[in-house]
Amino acid sequence: MTNPARITSALETAGIYIVAAVLILLGTLVSSEFLTVANLLSVLEAVAILGMVAPGMAFVTYSGSLADLSAPATMAFSGIIAVAALPFGLPLALGAGIVAGLGIGALNGLVVGRLRANPILWTLAVAFFMEGFMRFTWSNNQVYPDTEAGTSGAAFIAMFRVFVGPIPLIVMVMAAMFLSAHVVMAHTRFGKESQLVGSSRAAALASGIRVERLVFLNFLAAAFAASVAGIFLASLNKLGVFYLGQGYDFKAVTAVVIGGVMLSGGRGHIPGVFGGVLVIGLLTNIMQFMGLTSFRQNIVIGAVFITVVGLQQLRLRLRGRDYA
Amino acid sequence: MNAEALLLRGISKRFPGTLAVDGVDLEVRVGEVHALMGENGAGKSTLMKTLTGCFDDYEGAIEVGGKKVSIHSPREAKAQGIGMVYQELSLARPISIAENVLAGRLPSVRWGTVDWRAALIETRRCLGLVGLDVDPRKTVEEISQHEAQLVEIAKVLGNQPCILILDEPTSALSREEVQRLFAIVKNLKRRGLAIIYISHHLPEVFEVADRVTVMRDGRKVGTHDVGEVTPEALVQMMVGRKAGEFYTERKRAIGKPFMCVEHLTRLGFFHDVSFALRRGEILGIVGLSGAGRSELARSTCGLDPVDYGRVTLDGETVDPENYPRAVSQGLVYLSEDRKEEGLFLRLSVKANLLAARISRRGNEMSLVQRFIEELDIVASSTDVDAGTLSGGNQQKVLLGKWLATDPEVLILDEPSRGVDVNAKRRIHRAVMALADRGKAVLLISSDLPELVGLSDRAIVLRNGHLIGEMRAEELSEESVLLAANGHGALSHD
Repeated sequence: MTNPARITSALETAGIYIVAAVLILLGTLVSSEFLTVANLLSVLEAVAILGMVAPGMAFVTYSGSLADLSAPATMAFSGIIAVAALPFGLPLALGAGIVAGLGIGALNGLVVGRLRANPILWTLAVAFFMEGFMRFTWSNNQVYPDTEAGTSGAAFIAMFRVFVGPIPLIVMVMAAMFLSAHVVMAHTRFGKESQLVGSSRAAALASGIRVERLVFLNFLAAAFAASVAGIFLASLNKLGVFYLGQGYDFKAVTAVVIGGVMLSGGRGHIPGVFGGVLVIGLLTNIMQFMGLTSFRQNIVIGAVFITVVGLQQLRLRLRGRDYA
Repeated sequence: MNAEALLLRGISKRFPGTLAVDGVDLEVRVGEVHALMGENGAGKSTLMKTLTGCFDDYEGAIEVGGKKVSIHSPREAKAQGIGMVYQELSLARPISIAENVLAGRLPSVRWGTVDWRAALIETRRCLGLVGLDVDPRKTVEEISQHEAQLVEIAKVLGNQPCILILDEPTSALSREEVQRLFAIVKNLKRRGLAIIYISHHLPEVFEVADRVTVMRDGRKVGTHDVGEVTPEALVQMMVGRKAGEFYTERKRAIGKPFMCVEHLTRLGFFHDVSFALRRGEILGIVGLSGAGRSELARSTCGLDPVDYGRVTLDGETVDPENYPRAVSQGLVYLSEDRKEEGLFLRLSVKANLLAARISRRGNEMSLVQRFIEELDIVASSTDVDAGTLSGGNQQKVLLGKWLATDPEVLILDEPSRGVDVNAKRRIHRAVMALADRGKAVLLISSDLPELVGLSDRAIVLRNGHLIGEMRAEELSEESVLLAANGHGALSHD
């Protein structure tokens, strides 16, 4: 049986990979060093942190809560807590960092899920509050790990730099997060119910779905992803500080949206989001080869976001899908 | 014979994969009410959308008042004097009636400030056309559904159309309100408007229309003077085959009480309501709109709160305000609001059918296939968005969603509102089959033949109080109407 809906959906996923392929082609033209294993691996390395945040963010968007703009604050907070807890040993420090991030996610999930706060404004407010809170608590200072060899601090710093065989650990972690996110979103009850909530909250409630709990869990998923990313970001910078994570809110939303997850919720999938992360990585890499400053890179990424959101809406119009 | 106000010749509109309207001719005269009938999916809505400028790629010719016109945008339709009142109201609820009625043409004085005096006078004039006497400064939220509908008509009339299209204007109205609406329609007709009246209700068509055109599968079947056709003939034209007996007699094997509602009260909605629902029984709730039928149903299953009283299912108490739990216990509610609460319009037919039973195991694809066949759901594939189906098929998907959970008690709230004859029959058959399998059904319906035909017994609700009970042999359309109005002999418990 031919299946038009499935074919279009496959094409939609393919779309972002076609863009990636075009970018690779473009990169080859820009520099002869572009298409080398080392460079492509460095692209993956460069997007690893973003690639840890984005799958979590995707759950929030997918389940109809638009975006978690407290992701940067969550990243910074879990990073600081992890670094601060290093004297108690690495495993405990990592656990503390994750728990700290999950706390923010739980708060978001509770307020957006139960009290139905606007997710954008609420998470923005949480980000603002957390920045103030971190600056106040640590008196605007950076928190440093112990760097002497053999300490948990040194191990912490090494996390970002360790290789598993030929592949960096961070790339492995990113891959693991994408893979598990994909399984959860596409194949579990939680994922299916999130889709229902994202498609229509009212209909989900009237179908006997525990909407509040699902919204809560989706924010928790986003916070978990941001915490992991935050810890690796602290490891990269060899310190924890309130501003680590800045910009990841918008970049993650961009990856999610250009990866085909609809801002209106209920549509999209994780492989697409990975494509979105890849495209951002390639784009940034090419711009670096071209010698563009980071400001100009921001202009390009912003323009890509604007174009993609515009195209998505246009496509919905053309398909007549604005009936809902 | 009156002059023709509108002439359509060979109108066709193609959507990807289907020819929704196929070479339709239609002639509507000045000062006539022209009913347009047909099952859901027959192409009525698409034809009307063509007329109101929703498409720019139709084929065929349109003449308005003898002049050939092309209508490719809602603006052009408006300019040609075509106005449509949609089934779903398009009013902005938090703003005033005046601003709604005069949307896009608020009179202004200098520097664009609104001339409120003129606005109120003009709004009153428009409201006068529909015989509505409310303060135009009130917001739409403050007026009743019926009044809002009249405001909507007044808004369209304000643009001085010569052709007025009414799409199922009575679906949300009570009987008295329908009568008032008909008086207005007849008055507009006398003023020389050409009115196209879309409806599923045969009695309405015979009461208000002069001629009737029936469509089926995108084509026109025929146009007749209302005086020359019988309801049976119209149904025949719509279904294209023998209508047959609607409600087949079923063996009523009614068992022990299964769901007991005891002294259930939600202050301001319904008070001290007690009744028992037995296995294998279809229990109707008789009542006028506003009697508290839906509210009672929603509180019973835990969607809405309860102040006093309790509900038990096979002796086990049902948690108040915990609908997810009720669903897992087999107590489910089919919402009257298909678009908002019923379906996930942007998700596939398959996802919708499985939406309420995600947690359960079983072969999903075979389950989906089973309901597609059992309910005769017409969709090009199980992966198309539910929102693309016709109303009748959407309603079948909604019923399928609940049947797929294998419910013990199914509460139906207007299970076939705005649905064509065939879909209705499928839905009824499925409901009766459920009861025959020993499950219990609670039925709320404003469709009297449906309520009378399906119910084994009925309870009567009036102003939030249970005022009596009717046995199967006491049920008739007349007795139910009388009972809902608080008259007639009722056997009290």
